[in-house]
Order: sequence, then structure tokens, then C-alpha cells
Amino acid sequence: MIKLTIDGKEVELEKPVTVLEAAKKAGIRIPTLCYFEGLSPFGGCRLCLVEVEKLPKLQTACTLMAADGMVVRTETEQIKAARRAMLEFLLINHPLDCPYCDKAGECELQDLVAKYGPEAGRFAEGKRQHPENFDDPIIVRNMERCVLCTRCIRMCNDLQGAYAITVTGRGSHSFVEPFSGGKYNCEYCGNCLTVCPVGAIMSRLHRHSYRPWFVEKEVETTCGYCGVGCSLILQMREERIIRTIPRVGLGLNNGLLCVRGRFGYDFVESRDRLSTPMINVNGELRPVSWQEAYEFVIRRLKEIKETHGPTAIGGIASGRCTNEDNYMLQRLMRFVIGTNNIDSTARLYYAPAVAYLEQIFGQGITANLIPGIANSDGALVIGGDPTTINPILGLQIRALWRSGGKVIVVGAPGGLKRFASYEVVPRPFAEEIVLSAVVSRLVKEKELKGELTHLEEKIKGLKEPAEGDLQAAGVSAETIDRMVTDLKAMETPVIVIGPELLQHGRPSKNLFLTAALAYAINARMFVLSERPNYQGVIDMGCLPDMLPGGRPIDFEMFRHKIEETLGKEVPQNKGLNLFEMIDAAADGRLKALYVMGEDLLFSLPGREKTRKALEGLDLLIVQDIYLTETAKMADVVLPAASWSEKDGTFTNLERRIQRVRAGRTISSGRPDWQIVSEIARGLGDDKVFSSAHDVWEEVIHISPLHAGLSYEDISEGKAIWPYHGEPLRGVEGEFDVEGLDSLPKVDTDAIILNMHRPLYHSGSTSRRSKALISIFPEPVLMMNPSDAKGIGVEEGEKVRLATSNASIEVKVKIDRDLQQGVVSLSNTFEGVNFMRFVDYTVEPTTGSMVITNNSVKLEKVKE
Amino acid sequence: MTVQELFKKIFFVEILKGMALTLSRLFTKPVTRRYPKEKRPAQLGFRGLHALVRNPATGDAKCVGCGLCAAICPSRCIYIYTSEGPDHQKVVDRYEIEVLRCVYCAFCVEACPFGAVVLTPHYEYADYSREDFYMTKEKLLENWDKYMGEKGFEYFDKFWNPKSTHFTTPEGQAIWRRKSG
Repeated sequence: MIKLTIDGKEVELEKPVTVLEAAKKAGIRIPTLCYFEGLSPFGGCRLCLVEVEKLPKLQTACTLMAADGMVVRTETEQIKAARRAMLEFLLINHPLDCPYCDKAGECELQDLVAKYGPEAGRFAEGKRQHPENFDDPIIVRNMERCVLCTRCIRMCNDLQGAYAITVTGRGSHSFVEPFSGGKYNCEYCGNCLTVCPVGAIMSRLHRHSYRPWFVEKEVETTCGYCGVGCSLILQMREERIIRTIPRVGLGLNNGLLCVRGRFGYDFVESRDRLSTPMINVNGELRPVSWQEAYEFVIRRLKEIKETHGPTAIGGIASGRCTNEDNYMLQRLMRFVIGTNNIDSTARLYYAPAVAYLEQIFGQGITANLIPGIANSDGALVIGGDPTTINPILGLQIRALWRSGGKVIVVGAPGGLKRFASYEVVPRPFAEEIVLSAVVSRLVKEKELKGELTHLEEKIKGLKEPAEGDLQAAGVSAETIDRMVTDLKAMETPVIVIGPELLQHGRPSKNLFLTAALAYAINARMFVLSERPNYQGVIDMGCLPDMLPGGRPIDFEMFRHKIEETLGKEVPQNKGLNLFEMIDAAADGRLKALYVMGEDLLFSLPGREKTRKALEGLDLLIVQDIYLTETAKMADVVLPAASWSEKDGTFTNLERRIQRVRAGRTISSGRPDWQIVSEIARGLGDDKVFSSAHDVWEEVIHISPLHAGLSYEDISEGKAIWPYHGEPLRGVEGEFDVEGLDSLPKVDTDAIILNMHRPLYHSGSTSRRSKALISIFPEPVLMMNPSDAKGIGVEEGEKVRLATSNASIEVKVKIDRDLQQGVVSLSNTFEGVNFMRFVDYTVEPTTGSMVITNNSVKLEKVKE
Repeated sequence: MTVQELFKKIFFVEILKGMALTLSRLFTKPVTRRYPKEKRPAQLGFRGLHALVRNPATGDAKCVGCGLCAAICPSRCIYIYTSEGPDHQKVVDRYEIEVLRCVYCAFCVEACPFGAVVLTPHYEYADYSREDFYMTKEKLLENWDKYMGEKGFEYFDKFWNPKSTHFTTPEGQAIWRRKSG
């Protein structure tokens, strides 16, 4: 116990902290400029100077550790004089252009000068001059204003790990510059903007368009880009989002954001937004009133239900919509129309992965806390780059590595390049061989717990790869040794599973091996989620075989329970999943499809097949915020409200439920739940929902998982797994693995087209954001330098990329970190998207899709 | 009732006194003004209709859109919308005052670091619709031309002693400078 006196107040400390933090605990504010919570102390601004008895000189409170018996004074005349002098020094060069500077009003220097500062300076030498830098599309630097607190640099290096900026020059000509010169070549997280105390580094998106006191409304909401679910604050003025900011202490991101969350909000104001419902008349979409659209949908759905039965109707839910929206669609399909044909694009990898792992371990196995990753002592990352798919989760892994943990990456390391102890890069899709080798070795050296007999039996039956197999996979036996030794030594390990693990090779075996590994070393598992609410889609029962709350439809008990509560019948037979619905539509079994917030043509492989299937439908209802490719084919298009325009909740990948709140209240679209509810009422549903809250009230009555979880609880952050409800236990155990006793053949010659998941984009939503498009403006094919050399192209030149599906010219970008024999293309831009080139098959065991037809021909385009 | 009071009552003494005063006033100068024929000059610092100071050098408003007037305004009746201009400078797109909500405290004038907003001595602006009292930037600049003009600067300095005079840094010290647009 440390006892010290600060300004006459006795402070008791449990563990040693700095005087600054001790003072904060006692409620005493010491002025600071270079200190920022979470960053390493710097002691450069000399504003936190305090007087300590028996120490001859003033001390910086941010670096001085509190010691027992210390007597500290924070506001004496001597200290004030020192602070005034420091501020006078800073103002030698800081321009007094506050009326023009966007920071004025929230500028820490301004506040400090107002409190302590001199009224006039005594330095007659004139201020340094340095032109503002507008080379970058998003970030503007005005280095005349910089006070060299280095908060941005410490943020960039210590927390973000981009190492993009540094102090250049000497003396009064020291400026913070990116290594890349004018334009930033970084992750554009914009966390340097948050920490800049003055107006030296600012965003260009809202430049000169606001003053901090013009903010009329602050709305605390959850980011709608990926499955981490960062908390952010929308600052609004007159129904427009001025900017989005994070806040230290708020949410699991704790003051950090990534490029998409910070800069990508303007997609809601895109000109492409749908403004009115439309009905297809003779091949042309014509604007109609809401009433007409509702009547059309209701009439057609009734007709189809009567002539073909309820199972001829299907629904596609969306990982971008809230839990309430998805619940309502599920309700419409199951309880009103009477079919279990409901699924979403979570089917592409997330839902099968979670379902399979839950089959082995039980419900909630992937519900582990993201902020806990940094406290682990080791991580295995496999099947995707967390720093681009779920950037804030990626930062946690970087923090883990920084604190001395081991990070092992299987596959191309991407953003973990400098933060991995080592990476194991097998040939494309040979992860199975590496994992098999590791698991076989591991169980030989370490005894299993004997808890899960099913799993252990299967592990025993696993075929161990021979030396030759490893060679074919491009991994040496020493690497396997090293991996096994490191994994064995980890005490609180984490396994991060990316989408690639399921979309190539044999998903069930890959997942089984990962599960076996997690079991053997007792690891926590995380499944990366590209959409904000994939987990919510699952929890809300938007699966053909699950009811809300993750209750299997096979059990009569669960069906009865809902029937009793709601007074509605629950259909018994399993419905069709996403892929089955496409097949059923193609051969005429499915007549109507209700697509909510999803662009099927764009986000599914096998475009031609999907297109034919959709064309064959009698009724295609598309509910979206843009006129997507799928919407163009629709019989009726319903404009929805976007993420910032509606209330609701998201469930992130760690199953934390978080509130989404409406910022903009004016929208040309309506909230998805409301549209679905109107249609349900037209089809004979008697319940009236007047707000998202009403929907949630029904959810917590029906789903045993969410029982009693009110909006208030969620706002207070209490909604962490397993909530108040009860997870389902006792159904785990039985599972199948494909090819347990065989190993895949590795094709070494082919060039494989892989999906590029860039940090700056997220599906097709982000291409409507001007800011994100200015960073990543056009489709590029990422290529390894040696592959590029092989066909004689250089960066910026065009190649013709061809599979049997499509043959399109695309610009090349060289990426040294990419494996040889792999090229990658993002699924963002219309016309040149990854999914257009490839096909898929479905693995029956997991129900996950496996991408096929991905070996490509590359040819340089002669100009 | 005394005899004296009775006497006063019978002979209407009070009324006669009053009439005498009235009669005497007939021969003095009138104290009322014959408004609107005769107008009273506003005193220095009178807080009348709002105006935006026109910068004689550029012909546009002196206002840079710092928003301090809107921040200080107790009745929140000033709306400012700015944006980035072609040379990255700050452009004031809209500067609007809802005059009917104004309480004429003149805090805005005091807060303005550039002496760009002013209350003119003009006070006759009654009108028939609310719209006429919603002052846009153009209207406010017109007000300056109409009611202040060149004499305004003098008037301004004399009474308001604008902050802009303090705002320039002392002689010889580092200069506060504005980017030439």
C-alpha cells in the first residue's frame, strides 16, 4: 500500500502508478498536453509539473511514480509560473489562427493558454512557416500548429502498429511527417487525429464545415462495418453526420477505430440511395407509393402461398441489418408464411463454422472477450488476416505480441507481418496438412484431457502427414516442431479462425483440426466476422434449422414453447439453406424470394447460376438501401433505412449485444423491421409493432438465450454472453469429419485466385463512401513480385484475368507478402469482383461453400 | 368635512388649478417628438438591426465563420454554415440571424474577433411576415451598406472597441497571419 498526499488530500494506492494517475484517482486534475491515456508516458510538454516536497526541482507528474510518503502540490505560484513559461514557449511557433482552425473549441492548447497562458508573448523572431499539406485525400497536416507532443507517433507505433509517421527535421523545424512523404501509406486508422491536441493533424472529410459547438446531437451507436462492433459517437448537425468519433472508455474499442469506422460513414448520404419503392412493370422499375408496393407484395405472396404452398417462399436475412430486422424477417417466414426457408450470407462461412464448433464443444464456444486477447500469452491465426477483416481485433493480437506473447500465423501474414513471431506459409490450401501434422504431433507429446470422447476418438483416427506430404505443402518438419513446441508452451492461448479456412479445401476437416488443436492446448476461439451482425442473424433464428436463441428445430419441445408463447404454428420440417434455395429456384421449386439487405448476385460465387435462379422466380422482393445488381432484377424494390437511421441491436462476434441508435431521423427508406411488419400484417399477422423496442420485447420472450435482456441492460454493457438466459447444453457430441484418414493433393502449378479482403473496403457498401473510395479507388489484382515477373507485368499495368466464368482486364498491384502462385482480388467493385470469376460447391458435412474454378489464366494486356 | 374643504368643493378649486397648468403649457415648447415625421437620432452603441461588416478590400463580408457569435448567443439565433473553398480556405456559405429571437444583448459583437458583426443604429424595421426578419448573409451585408457604410468603422471603433484590435499580436512579435486565398 502506497500512501501519499496530493494537495492536502490523502491518496491510497493499491499498485504503483504515476503521480498523475494517483491525482486523477483523488479527483485532482493536473493539466497535460503530451499525456494520453493508454500511451506510454513521454514527459515532453512539461505542463504536468508538480512540486514534490524534498525534491529540489519541479517534477513531471506523468513520468514520476508515486512513492510512499510523498507530499505533492499541483497548483502553486511557482508551478503556475512554470506552466505559463512553457505555454509561452509553445506559442512562439504556434500560429494564432484559432478562428480558422477547426480544432478551436476542443483544442487542448487553447484551453491551457486560456487558463495559464501569458497574455502576450515576448519573442519577436517571427513564427516558422510550413505550408499546409493537402497531398493526402483524407488527412490534412498543418505542421505550423504542431506542438511536438508526439502523441500521434506514440499512437501510431504503440497502439496501432502502423509505424507510419515520425518527427523529421531539427529544432523549431521539427515536423511530424509520414515516412511515405506527402501522402500517407498507412492503415488510415485516423487514431492520430483523435490524439492530436491541436489542429495539426485533421480529417479533410469535414474540414471547415463545423465547429465543435455546432454539434446539436451526439448519438452513441455501434459501427456497422465489421463483426467487432466498435462503439462510436455520431456527431450530428441538422440531420447530417458531421463526423464519427470514438471515446476513451467507451465500448470494447476504448478510443480506437479503424479506417472504415472513422471515415466510412458517408455511405448513408450517397446519391445512390433508393428514395422510393419500385415495382417492375414490363422489365422496367417504376416508382410507386409505399401503399402500392405493400399491396403488391402481399397480393403476390398470398397467391404464391395458395398455389404452391408456403415452402415455395424463401427469405434471405442480412448480416448488415439489426437483430430486430432479422428477427422480423424470420417471424414473417416461419410464423406468418409458415416455412423454414430462411438463411443469410452468414452461410458463406460464419454460420457453418460456429455451428460446427458448437456441435463439438457446445453452444457459446466462440463467445470469448475480444479485449482479453491482449492478455493472452499466445495466438494462432489461421485462415485470414484479422487486421483487415476485424481491425480492432487485429490490434489486440498486435498488443499480445508486443507484450511478449507468441503469435503464429498460418498463411500470408498481411497486417500481422511485423507482429508475428513467425509465419508458416504453406502452399495454397495446404493448411490441412500443416494442421494435421501439428495436431498429430501435439497429441503424441501431450496427453488429452479425456473430457470429449467423440473428439478424442476422431483425433486418434487422424492420418499423420508423412515427410513427403509436408514437402508438397511447402513446410519443413522443423517448422512443425517449432509450432508444436510453442503451442505446447502457451498457457492462455487464442485461436483466430478466418473465412479462408472454410472456403477452401475440406471445411469440416480444417475446422475439426482447429477444434482438436484448441482442445489440446485449451485455447479460446474467435471466428472472424466480416459483417456487423452475422452472429445476430444466427441468434435470431435466421437459419433453416434453428429457432431464435439457437434452439434446433428438430426438438418438438422448443417448437411447442414458441407456439405457446406466440400462439402461432412453427413449421416442422427443416427449411432450405442459401445454396439450396438457389438450387430450388433454378429448378422451379422455389417461387418467391424475399431478399433483405443482401446483394446475392454480387456476394455469391457462381454468378450465372444465381442469375438464372433469380430470373426463374415468380416473385423477387429486394429490400435494400441501394439499387444493387440483385435489386435491378427484382419485381419489387423496397428502400430501407440505413445503419445510422434506425434503432436496434447488433450482436458482435464475441456475442456482445450492443445498441444501434438512429442518428439521422429523416430517411427516404423505412426501417427493415417496419417494412416486414407491414407485410406480415397484410398476410394476416395481428400483432402491431410500433418500434424496434417492441420487436426486442418479443425476442426476449421467445428466445431463451435473451430472456429478460432489456434495452437498458444492453445500454449499460451488461449484454455479454451468456446474458441472463440459458445457453443450450447437452446436444453437443455427434459430428462428422470428411476425409479423416486422407490428405489433400497439393496442386503446385496452378495460379489460384483468392479473395482479397482489403482494410479499406467491406463488400459493396464501402464503395459508396467517398472517403474510402479515395484511398482504394479501383479494383486491383494483388500479385506476388515473382508471379508478376513471370508474365512480365509491373505495378500499374493491366492483365487479363480469366476463368471459365469471366475474362476481365484489371490493374496489377504488387504485394510482397502474398504467397507465390496466388493472386487476389477484392469483392468490392461492380464488374470486377472476385465472386464473378469463381464457382462453388457445398460441403455436405458443414454446409459451408467451397470455392471452385479459382485457378486462373493471366495474360499481360498489350497497350 | 371642514369649511375649507367645502369651499374647495363648491368652487372647483382643483379643477381651476389644473386648467391653469394646462393654460400655461399652451405657451411652452412641446416635449414629445412627432414620430415618424421627426426621428430621434440613435445614441452611440444603440443596438438596432444586425449587419455584417463588408470588407472594403474584398467586397465580401469580413466574417471568417469562426462561430464565436453563435457560441455566445444566449438565444441561439445565429446559424453559420461554412465549407472548404477551392484553395482550402474557409468559406462562409450561410450566415443567418433569426432577428425575432434576438434579445439584442450584443454579445455577438463583443465576441467577434474581427469586428465583423454589428448592431446598427437602425431601428425601424417592422414588417408583416416572419420571413422578413430572417436575415441571410446578403441581407445582413445590405444592412451594413444601408445603415453603416464607411461611417460604420469609425462608429464601431469608438464604441465597441472591437477585439480585433487586441487580436493582432504586439508590434515586432510573431505576426498573426491569414493565408492569402
